[in-house]
Amino acid sequence: MTLNVSLLLPALLLALAAPCVAHAQAEAKTEQVAVRLVSAAATVQPGQSLLVGVQQKIIPHWHTYWANPGDSGLPTTIAWTLPAGATASPIHWPTPSRYSLGPITNYGYADEVTLPSVVQVPADLRDGGRFGLKAKVDWLVCHDVCIPQNATLSLSLPVSTAATASADADLLQQAQARVPQRGDAARWQLDGGKLQLSLPQGAPAHDAAYFFARKWGLVAHAEPQQLQQARLSIAPGDNAPKGGDAVDGVLVLFKEGKPVQSLAIGHDPAPLTPVPVSTAPAGAATSADAPSLLLALGLALLGGLILNLMPCVFPVLTIKVLSLLQTAQGSRRVVRLHGLVYLAGVLASFAALAGVLIALKAGGGSVGWGFQFQSPVFVLLVALLMFAVGLSLSGVVTIGSSAAGLGQGLASQPGLRGSFFTGVLATVVATPCTAPFMGVAIGYAVTQPPAVTLAVFLALGLGLALPYLLLCEWPALQRRLPRPGAWMDRLKQALAFPMYASAAWLAWVLARQAGPEALAVALAGAIGLALAAWLYSNTRDLGARGRHASAVIAVLLVVGTVGFGTLGVTGTSTAPPATTAADSGWEPYTPERLATLRREGKPVFVNLTADWCITCLVNERVALSPSHVDEAFRQAGITRLKGDWTRGDERITRLLAEHGRSGVPLYLFYPAGPQVEPQVLPQLLTPDLVLTALKAPTSP
Amino acid sequence: MTTLRRHCLIALASAAWALAPFGAHAAATLDQPAPAFTVPGADGKPVSLSAYKGKTVVLEWTNHECPFVRKHYDRSGNIPKLQKEATASGVVWLQVISSSPGSQGHVTGAQAQKLNQQRGAAPSAVLIDADGKVGKAYGAQTTPHLYVINADGKLVYKGGIDSIPSSNVSDIAKADNYVKLALADVAAGRKVAQASTQPYGCSVKYSD
Repeated sequence: MTLNVSLLLPALLLALAAPCVAHAQAEAKTEQVAVRLVSAAATVQPGQSLLVGVQQKIIPHWHTYWANPGDSGLPTTIAWTLPAGATASPIHWPTPSRYSLGPITNYGYADEVTLPSVVQVPADLRDGGRFGLKAKVDWLVCHDVCIPQNATLSLSLPVSTAATASADADLLQQAQARVPQRGDAARWQLDGGKLQLSLPQGAPAHDAAYFFARKWGLVAHAEPQQLQQARLSIAPGDNAPKGGDAVDGVLVLFKEGKPVQSLAIGHDPAPLTPVPVSTAPAGAATSADAPSLLLALGLALLGGLILNLMPCVFPVLTIKVLSLLQTAQGSRRVVRLHGLVYLAGVLASFAALAGVLIALKAGGGSVGWGFQFQSPVFVLLVALLMFAVGLSLSGVVTIGSSAAGLGQGLASQPGLRGSFFTGVLATVVATPCTAPFMGVAIGYAVTQPPAVTLAVFLALGLGLALPYLLLCEWPALQRRLPRPGAWMDRLKQALAFPMYASAAWLAWVLARQAGPEALAVALAGAIGLALAAWLYSNTRDLGARGRHASAVIAVLLVVGTVGFGTLGVTGTSTAPPATTAADSGWEPYTPERLATLRREGKPVFVNLTADWCITCLVNERVALSPSHVDEAFRQAGITRLKGDWTRGDERITRLLAEHGRSGVPLYLFYPAGPQVEPQVLPQLLTPDLVLTALKAPTSP
Repeated sequence: MTTLRRHCLIALASAAWALAPFGAHAAATLDQPAPAFTVPGADGKPVSLSAYKGKTVVLEWTNHECPFVRKHYDRSGNIPKLQKEATASGVVWLQVISSSPGSQGHVTGAQAQKLNQQRGAAPSAVLIDADGKVGKAYGAQTTPHLYVINADGKLVYKGGIDSIPSSNVSDIAKADNYVKLALADVAAGRKVAQASTQPYGCSVKYSD
């Protein structure tokens, strides 16, 4: 599987060069407080909400302060310096504690506190770059005396589309849990010189309550607060609220001295909406709606099975079955062995693919199913491979123990090797196809730890190998197959044409990716291959020297065409991307355009596709282009956005990732209305399916 | 501190100093007669509020070791400058030191005078309120914490020195100086626009 090895090497280099998190400036220490800048994620994903925090570890008896420090003191402040386009939320204050000394009451934190903020990462970050965060933290730490302190902390994280939790994910998870939950606006009145605060309905059982006012002066901090029935009676402060004033703060309910509920009441500021913290290293799913491992494995198996029917895989499998027919007389043991070796070939290829994915991911690369087809060199090589297989099927050349192991005696060792490489070939030719159910499984797999990624890929491979494996294992099934005969040769020759078609399609993809020069290179390569095949098979009747000479010439031709072809394509791969303007009714997808349309509440249909994705092209032809579907789009005033992933595009990779996918196709329909979640359409479309989706009610 | 203890304290304080009545929680109330007091001054002579009837009086709680006080003294000269301006226009400026013995900022009268000399401070007098009675009567919480009493003996301002609670000297220039504004309002016979503001700083180091 030299094709993937060539990809593996740079991937490994990338993995070795994978940068580590700089810890040097993320921490600082004074006599009283150790501060640390922490991030929930080890990598920064473009467009994400990144949960970060400043942790203070405070020596015993000392404390730092809450947003309203109480009668004295100062709240901790964090001034952020972030890359262009990034913004940090204000501190999402954890529920404070009360410290009273004589007539003075303070609100703050002792021992340890982590002050979380959410950083909005700009969407246009370049994958593989770095994201630097700098926080100037000012705090006052007091016991008997007060000491103002500050530190400038910085953190630099690699940018990657793959989410990776950091070692501090748990710490920030706990910090989030300490931030009060959102409650309602306060219901209060001034009665008998006291501020009477009504407790929210449905409060858990409690025997005490305390209201931490957000602003100075609202209440007298040092005065006791009396709980009577569902009312908390509080002495107003020097800036007591008047009718219509907002009463903002944190209401804490206690039972037997322990807090049982902490609610942020009022409007200012919005409590922290929990930011999901990826716990990838622990092996858990990243969000509640991610499929479980078992489900992902099941979907992968099903996807692999369906891959057998894809136009580029089907001929390979058919040929394999034909060769089985020819040797139906072979011993059962040998037949079963072939089935297992074929399985081994498929699984080894999928394991290699998973390895490349894992390595690229570790290097911070953005990867997905079919990612290798974003490389024009890979497309060229697969196109030439398909052409070579086609030549072999046509009978132009019968390569000894050919790579595809076509029609060879099964008992021989080369035959076994042939079965192995048939498995490899089946995998290689299957990569441009995304079968239904595969997208979800692989999208899940790439966000998981390496072991899970590998398991999902192996399940996919098992699915691909299963039909042939069953045939080999099950003599009864073999007997149902038609008798071998001359028809097999004709069928084999006929099956050459899907292979030629696949090669032609890949040549077209190549032209779109890398321009007409690349197409010329591919065609020249094909002619070189054909010449080599013809030379080889027509010199077999010659003497040993002649055979050898022609074999050498053929090998040179193959090496020459493939080698120069690769160089030629590499040289032209910087050609401008193919335009998509020709698609009538479709606009190119940009996140900005989508955001604008969504803000206006307009319905949008998003089609993420690639020229090398057969499923995508079939869907477009069959389900998205027919005139009645086009008419339905127009009548409903739906803007159609098309994202072309043929050459790879960060912004599209991100949109895919947002929906748990790692490859195309992906179809999203956003019905009219400002805040409606998109409907994700299946990966195999029919016109009816699309029309039904467009007519769906606009409620979320 | 419970309300009961507060009431006991008030009762004690009233007995000792025959103070004017004041509210249960906010000891010194705006637009009400300011709590009267007689405390030993730094020079050993007792200082009484009643002696300044007819004059505008500023009460400034201070603690020379507190970083917020240092922000406005050693590190900027902000409060000493204000003291000179105020006293030059006939205002009485009283520094009050309520730190209990053994706590931060507690000084003898002689030490207080020497400190002021070193810092270029020019208050009319320094009050050594070591038992914290005046501080608690006024509800002083922070150092600095400032009060302005008008010529009628009524409290017209209570709060911070300025509008930016921080320990950074550079914020002084950007902040509104509430005391300066209040004194200007009083001098012009106006109602003080910002009569109650957030005091900020270290806590007053009371004994309990």
